[in-house]
Parts: sequence; structure tokens; C-alpha cells
Amino acid sequence: MSIVATGISKRFGDFVALDNVSLEVPTGSLTALLGPSGSGKSTLLRVIAGLETPDEGEIVISGEDATALAPQKRGVGFVFQHYAAFKHMTVRNNVAFGLTIRKRPKAEIRARVDQLLELVQLQQFGHRYPAQLSGGQRQRMALARALAVEPEVLLLDEPFGALDARVRAELRDWLRRLHEEVHVTTVFVTHDQEEAMEVADQIAVMNHGVIEQVGGPRDLYEDPQSEFVMSFIGPTTRVGETWVRPHDLEILLSPSEDAAEAMIERVVHLGFEVRVELVRADREKVWAQLTRDQCEELELVDGQIVYVRAAQERVFA
Amino acid sequence: MTRLLRRFGLRAVAFGYLATILVGPLALVFYRTFEDGIGPAWDALSTPETVNAFKLTLIITAIAVPLNTIFGIACALAIVRRRFRGKGIVNAFVDLPLALSPVVVGLSLFLLYGRDGWFGWLGDHGVQVLFSLPAMVIATIFVSLPFVAREVIPTLREIGDEQEQAARTLGANGSQTFWRITLPAIRWAVIYGVILTTARCLGEYGAVAVVSGRLQGETETATLRVEERYESFDLAGAYAISIVLAFIAVLVLVAMTVIRPKEEATQ
Repeated sequence: MSIVATGISKRFGDFVALDNVSLEVPTGSLTALLGPSGSGKSTLLRVIAGLETPDEGEIVISGEDATALAPQKRGVGFVFQHYAAFKHMTVRNNVAFGLTIRKRPKAEIRARVDQLLELVQLQQFGHRYPAQLSGGQRQRMALARALAVEPEVLLLDEPFGALDARVRAELRDWLRRLHEEVHVTTVFVTHDQEEAMEVADQIAVMNHGVIEQVGGPRDLYEDPQSEFVMSFIGPTTRVGETWVRPHDLEILLSPSEDAAEAMIERVVHLGFEVRVELVRADREKVWAQLTRDQCEELELVDGQIVYVRAAQERVFA
Repeated sequence: MTRLLRRFGLRAVAFGYLATILVGPLALVFYRTFEDGIGPAWDALSTPETVNAFKLTLIITAIAVPLNTIFGIACALAIVRRRFRGKGIVNAFVDLPLALSPVVVGLSLFLLYGRDGWFGWLGDHGVQVLFSLPAMVIATIFVSLPFVAREVIPTLREIGDEQEQAARTLGANGSQTFWRITLPAIRWAVIYGVILTTARCLGEYGAVAVVSGRLQGETETATLRVEERYESFDLAGAYAISIVLAFIAVLVLVAMTVIRPKEEATQ
């Protein structure tokens, strides 16, 4: 049930979507492919599903070479960003599709569909058509449909991308719980680092068709291996040649030899968090993240001259 | 006054145009047919030659429509879903019958299947193409070829291929995906295309006129029969047949209006 991709390359005309990418997804894990648009994350997912054929490289699913297998033979469940609901079928028939194709007995299909509709909390919507559902409900239906055939791996392509923020947060939470329940090896694509950090236990950060770094959410945040990963995962501010997390930027009221002079441009109160925007003597702009208490203690005001020091900084070659 | 003109001007132009060009002449044909009651019209329609002409038109339609439906769907799928060399040319060629005069089509078939044509040798083996059913069917297929493909292509583009991909990942093979997902999704476009194709087949005149040989009671379709009656000064007969053709056209029109709103509602 593990997925091993080795040396995958894929070109669309002149555009290099994937450049010699290798990735290992352990059995039962929940892995996120994270990156900006055009980074190749969706292409990698589609290559795993068999919806795209790689120019080079191989895909091994559950120890079996799947590179040349048609998508219907790979035992994968795929969830699309825009749901790909079968519009002319009811919710029940959508969910039952994979089982109907496999010619399972009617009673078994009915029982399984009932169970899945309950799992995705759509019991009372079985006889509706997709057009009569909200976006979140449609996506839950698509998930139930993918799970119906008991796939070895579940692949989700920006599953919450088309939904509004509140529904997205709800479904995220729900996906995490679902994964704990059914434990199917899951890979999902997202461009939202917060979503990846919150849901996944392994994140592969992608950029320009290559994987920059693979690790747990905490590893990536604490120990980024490249400038791209550092700036993509969590907030950063640049001080000269070095990168600093804004909460690692200390503000001192009196000069110190390792601190640089700066003027406060603006103090933004965001509730618990306070953002302090500064201009250093060399005209470079930086920002610091403080708690409300820290800010009150220092009594910071706009226009004030302070001294900033990076508690922890990073230089990337 | 200007307000009234603005409100009703455009409508008046549209209705006036339709009335002069379409409704007026049709109404006149209708009037002339039944001028002396239903008897003469019925007599004209029930001659063996006319019955045969309608039969022939229906046979040709019954062969051409299914063939063009299958070809149209296959062609649309190829153009929208596949990447291949010469796709642009195929796409353009599908439209050719719309641009080409049917007479030219008839003439080209004449050259192809005539004595000295490429397929002239068929005649030596006892296969009669020209002046018989095969040539008439081929001519009709040619002129009515684009309609299904032209209706299905934009619908296929619009629905995209995500549903088909989803079906594949759920275990459906190519034909299961086609019958269960693609065809239901394009069904209204196909039906609409079939109706248009049928209308075109029933009304075809030019190409068939060239290749049929117009043997009365044998290779004469309904439209050819109208002209033959007219030229023989049997106006009552010509009108009667015309009325039946017009009635079929109205049926087609009704069928299309019934289907159109449904198609728009599902999208």
C-alpha cells in the first residue's frame, strides 16, 4: 500500500512539469504535496493515478510496478478539485458507481453505499442529484465514491480548493479524522501550507518540477533546507543576507552590539499577535511578530527608534 | 411614437421577414392543397409512385441517420478527446458538406461510380451503385454528415474529461466509461443532432437528383417527386406531397423546441 515514485520526468511541450522526481509514501501515511501553482504537484499525483503517463521513471504501488497499468487497474481512489460528479446520476448511484462496474450483488452495494453515506454524513441526500448539493457536500460525495471500491491508496487533487474558508477548515478536520478511521494511504495536493501542516504527517515541498524537501511539518518549519522551503512554510523576513522567522526577531529598546538600529513604521494589532513593521538604518524593511503582552511591555509606538536582533537566523547558499 | 418603434420595431422586422419568406408561402401551399377539399390531395398522395417515393425517402433516412450518428459521435470524440496529426484537417472536413453545394457532391459521386470512374468496375460485377439506392444513400450521408458532430463537439468540450477520468479511476474501462458517463452527458446534443440530420435527409434534393436517375416509382424520393409532379403540371399532386414534407418539418421543429430548453436547464 506504499507508493514509490522513482525518477519521474514529465514534459508538456517545452514546459518541464516534473524533473527527475523521486518520492516515497509509506503505507498508511497522510502525505501532502505542497507547492505553488505550476510546481508539478498535481502532475505528480496524476502520474501516480495513471491519468498521465510519465516520460521517464517508474511508479510502484504496494510493491507492484504500476508504471504501465491503466488507471482502472491501479486500485487508487481519486478525488478531483472540481468534484467530477456524475451529473446525470443520483448521489447513491455516484457512490455506487465503482461497485456497479465490478458487478457486485445489489444487496451488498446497497449496504456499502448506506455505510459510506453515513460516513460522509449524506444519508438523507442519497436521492438528490449533484446539482442539488453544496460544494462541500459534493466533495464529500466524491470522497465516498472514491472510498467505495476500497482503494489501496487515496489521491486527492486540491480537494478543498474550490470551497470557502469555513467549509474548507471543516473538511480538513474531517479528512484527518477519516484517515485515522480508515487508515488508507493518502496523498493530497495543496498550495496552502497551513492546510498541509494541519492535515499531513509527511509533506513534500515542490517547486519548478522538483521536490525541494520531504519531512514532517515540524522538520520543515524548524529545519528548512532551502530558501524556498523556509519562505514557503511559515512567515519569513529578510535581514541582509539572512532569513529570519519574524517571531525570532527581538526588539530591544537600548543599543546592543549585535543589534541593528531601526525605526518603527507601523504597529499592527491582530488580536493575540502584534505585527511590528520596521525600517532599518540601511533602509531595509523587516517585520517582527510579537505577542500582545510583549508589545505592551515594550510600549512600542509608531516612529520610535529601536534595536533589532535575530535570535535565530539562517543563510542559504 | 419613437418609443413604440423602439419597443416593437425589431419584433416587427423579425416577424415581417419570417412571414414574407416562410409562413406566407407555406400557408399558400397549404391553401392550394386543400382548396377542393381533402379528396384530391389524398388521391395524389395514394398513387403508387408517390407512396414509393415516400418509402424510398424513409429507407434512405433510416440508413443514413444511424450511420451519421455513430460517425458523428466517434468523430466528435476523436476531435475533442484525442491528440493526433491532421486533427485540424479532419475538423475542417467535417464542415465541408455545409459549404459544398449538394449538386457538386452528386456530380463527384457520378464521376467516382460512373463507367470510367475509380469504382466503375463495381458495375461489371453486377453491383449497381449509380441510379439506384446505394448512390442515393451515399449522397444523403454526405450532405447530412456534419450535424451530429457539430452538436456534440461543443458539449464534449464543455463537460470536460474529469468525469471520464473519475470513471476510469473507479474501475471503468473505455466502453463502460462511454456508455455510462460520456453518452448520458452528451445525450441531448446527440438527440438534437439526430433531429437535424433526419430533417436534412428527408429534405435532400440536389445530390440525390444527380445520382438517382429519377426513375419514376423506382429511384424517385419525395422531394424529387414534388418536382416531377410540378413539371408534369400536376400542381395538386406537388402541393400534397409538399404538405406532407412541411408537416414533417413542423414535427421536427416542435421536437427541437421541446428539447432545447431541457438541454439548457441541465447545464
